[in-house]
Amino acid sequence: MTLTAFPPPPPGADHDDLRQEVRAFLAEELADFPPEKRAKSWNGHSRDFSRKLAQRGWVGMTFPKEYGGHARSALERYVVSEELLAAGAPVISHWIADRQSGPLILAKGTEEQKRAIVPRIAAGELSFCIGMSEPDSGSDLAATRTIATEVEGGYRVNGTKVWTTYAHVADYMILFCRTGKSEDRHGGMSQLLVDLKTTKDIQISPIIDMAGEHHFNQVIFDNTFLPADALLGEKGEGWSQVMSELAFERSGPERFLSSFALIEEMIRVLRQDATEAQQAEIGRLAAHLMVLRQMSRSVAGMLNEGKNPALQAAIVKDLGALFEQDIPRLARSLISRPAVPGGRDSYAAVLAYTELAVPSFSLRGGTREILRGIIARGLGLR
Amino acid sequence: MESMIFDMAERLLRDHVTHRLREDAAAGQCPDALWTRIEEAGLHMALVPEEAGGFGVPAAEALGLARIAGAHGLPLPLAETLIANAVLARAGLTLPGGRLTIAEGAGLRLERRGVAIHASGQLTVVPFARWADRIVTIAALDGTDHVLSLPVKDLTLTPGQDLAGMPRDEVAVDRDLTEADAAALPRSMGGMRGLGALVRSLATAGAMETILQMSVEYANDRVQFGRPIGKFQAIQHSLATMAGETAASRTAAEMAADSYDTAAFALTVAAAKSRAGEAAETVGALAHQIHGAIGYTQEHALHHFTKRIWSWRDEFGTELEWSTELGRAALSSPQDTFWQFITDSTAQGAPA
Ligand SMILES: Cc1cc2nc3c(=O)[nH]c(=O)nc-3n(C[C@H](O)[C@H](O)[C@H](O)COP(=O)(O)OP(=O)(O)OC[C@H]3O[C@@H](n4cnc5c(N)ncnc54)[C@H](O)[C@@H]3O)c2cc1C
Repeated sequence: MTLTAFPPPPPGADHDDLRQEVRAFLAEELADFPPEKRAKSWNGHSRDFSRKLAQRGWVGMTFPKEYGGHARSALERYVVSEELLAAGAPVISHWIADRQSGPLILAKGTEEQKRAIVPRIAAGELSFCIGMSEPDSGSDLAATRTIATEVEGGYRVNGTKVWTTYAHVADYMILFCRTGKSEDRHGGMSQLLVDLKTTKDIQISPIIDMAGEHHFNQVIFDNTFLPADALLGEKGEGWSQVMSELAFERSGPERFLSSFALIEEMIRVLRQDATEAQQAEIGRLAAHLMVLRQMSRSVAGMLNEGKNPALQAAIVKDLGALFEQDIPRLARSLISRPAVPGGRDSYAAVLAYTELAVPSFSLRGGTREILRGIIARGLGLR
Repeated sequence: MESMIFDMAERLLRDHVTHRLREDAAAGQCPDALWTRIEEAGLHMALVPEEAGGFGVPAAEALGLARIAGAHGLPLPLAETLIANAVLARAGLTLPGGRLTIAEGAGLRLERRGVAIHASGQLTVVPFARWADRIVTIAALDGTDHVLSLPVKDLTLTPGQDLAGMPRDEVAVDRDLTEADAAALPRSMGGMRGLGALVRSLATAGAMETILQMSVEYANDRVQFGRPIGKFQAIQHSLATMAGETAASRTAAEMAADSYDTAAFALTVAAAKSRAGEAAETVGALAHQIHGAIGYTQEHALHHFTKRIWSWRDEFGTELEWSTELGRAALSSPQDTFWQFITDSTAQGAPA
């Protein structure tokens, strides 16, 4: 039963020297970064921070050197990623580009696209957003309606994307849309590279989440013209391209460390004198975390070997979301201290923030139900 | 880990560990003939270093046998013999051959009587004691871990059993041990509790893989409302949950096996036993739900596996004990952050 076997990460995966370097950098850069901000986890935005990180060679780490990258392994990248997340560093500005858009362009893009874009991602200068979801196409991505019609010199695009994280600051969107008719539900789809800073006739408007924050958006394409060289990869191959992005999108440490600021706050409060029952709960949490981390590192090892561990990634994301969503409940069961939005007590403030963040963890990047369907299919249910 | 030893063990156990054999064992009959085959294949020596007569497979691979034994519900102390021989070899004691078992030595008192070491006290829930030739345990004398090799014929046994009907005996010890049967451990291996917890975690992962596979097959075969029940999303999601719990337990157990005999073992084995024990609840419950009434019968094979994983939770430290130990370590860690504790806990450090 290969689905339940996660080979150990290769020897040397710890990369302790690199880890210590990253820790020292974060200790300095984030010295005054308060817990309430760290609680935002990878939703925190700072182009400045991403640039500094890139100057250290920690963005686009796995990209080839000729495209401004550093030709390092997926496991070295993993060390940097988890250290950033554990510290609650504001990383979203480069995160999506570094995680999936850059690798996608490297794998499928033309030479011109690679040269024009990838080095700027590695420099921390570019933000990407993911244009998949639409008002009538959420889990059912194949129901995508946005359509790019071929015209002289390029495409005319019409349609609406929603929930587009950080579209309002992003430089590019990778747009998933129809480019043709097909009998096959998954056929006739393509990915287009949209330059959000220069393209006309795109309307980006904020959607405020229930925590009162603006990170996602609605993006309307109104007869938008895109040049022919916006096509990313093969025309009509959008579906399989998107599917191969998912192992990158789903397996990383951001799928179980989103509540980590609350874990650190909780431990800080309990450290002084914990009862045996509290120790047991923290031990259970530690066990889950150690194991999730090992599974996620295993997937990084598989990615490094050029495998496609999409099923294992779905397992990590499903278990990871359960874990990170459970942290507020756990905190409440161990510490009797009310949540206070923006409160002066950092535990109370981080708890309040995290309580409002967790519902999204089993939605974004593929819902729990969809992941379980994928896993079930992988088990051989006919 | 698809090695020669793996293939050999898998074939041997697949051919010989039948439902009938498990039934007979639960009724009290020791499968002696199968043990002979296991010994002929040399499986019981897999964890012994080459210089002590083993065949030099990496420890993590040798420990994989515990998982395979679990996957087949083997009613014999193979995992126990693996550990016992490895511990005896480490202490420089001769390997006696035969069926061995292991016991936590916390209930034993050791004292020097002339040249001999006198051992007295109780060993509880000793797996397969009445089918074993010797019990190997670790207890402290003058603050140092000592390995003891106790011949079962000289001890007083009170039979008991676990949920699956496997022998779990009480053993009263009161005897002098000579140099041949007692020696100090040159360096600690984490005590018999940790080593036992390791093989039980691995066995639990193996048994859960079998339970998962049985459940998938049953869901594909059983038809209700005109279609296989595996077509119903509720059933699919239960199976997906079982797969996640099983994968987590196997990863946890293999992480501990990978750190066997290193500084990281104390914490990884705590995580493994705690995680596997928790998963046993969910996996067992969902498997029975999927199987309906037939899975609740003596006739169906499922119960041999669910009973085993539920019993193994209680042996060599419950998940509550191991979680408490791990939590205490986390909360009293000198590290500034919990995160550092986590990364250090699995660090591939030097041998212990
Ligand atoms: C914080 C956040 C950030 C996001 N960022 C982006 C982004 O940057 N780019 C982007 O494209 N999208 C983004 N999304 C959208 C995300 O991908 C979708 O929310 C997700 O795919 C689910 O779609 P939906 O919200 O339309 O829900 P629906 O698909 O309508 O689902 C509603 C409920 O029905 C269940 N359901 C649906 N189909 C099935 C089925 N077949 N079987 C069982 N249950 C089913 C779902 O699991 C869910 O519980 C983001 C979402 C969130 C919350």
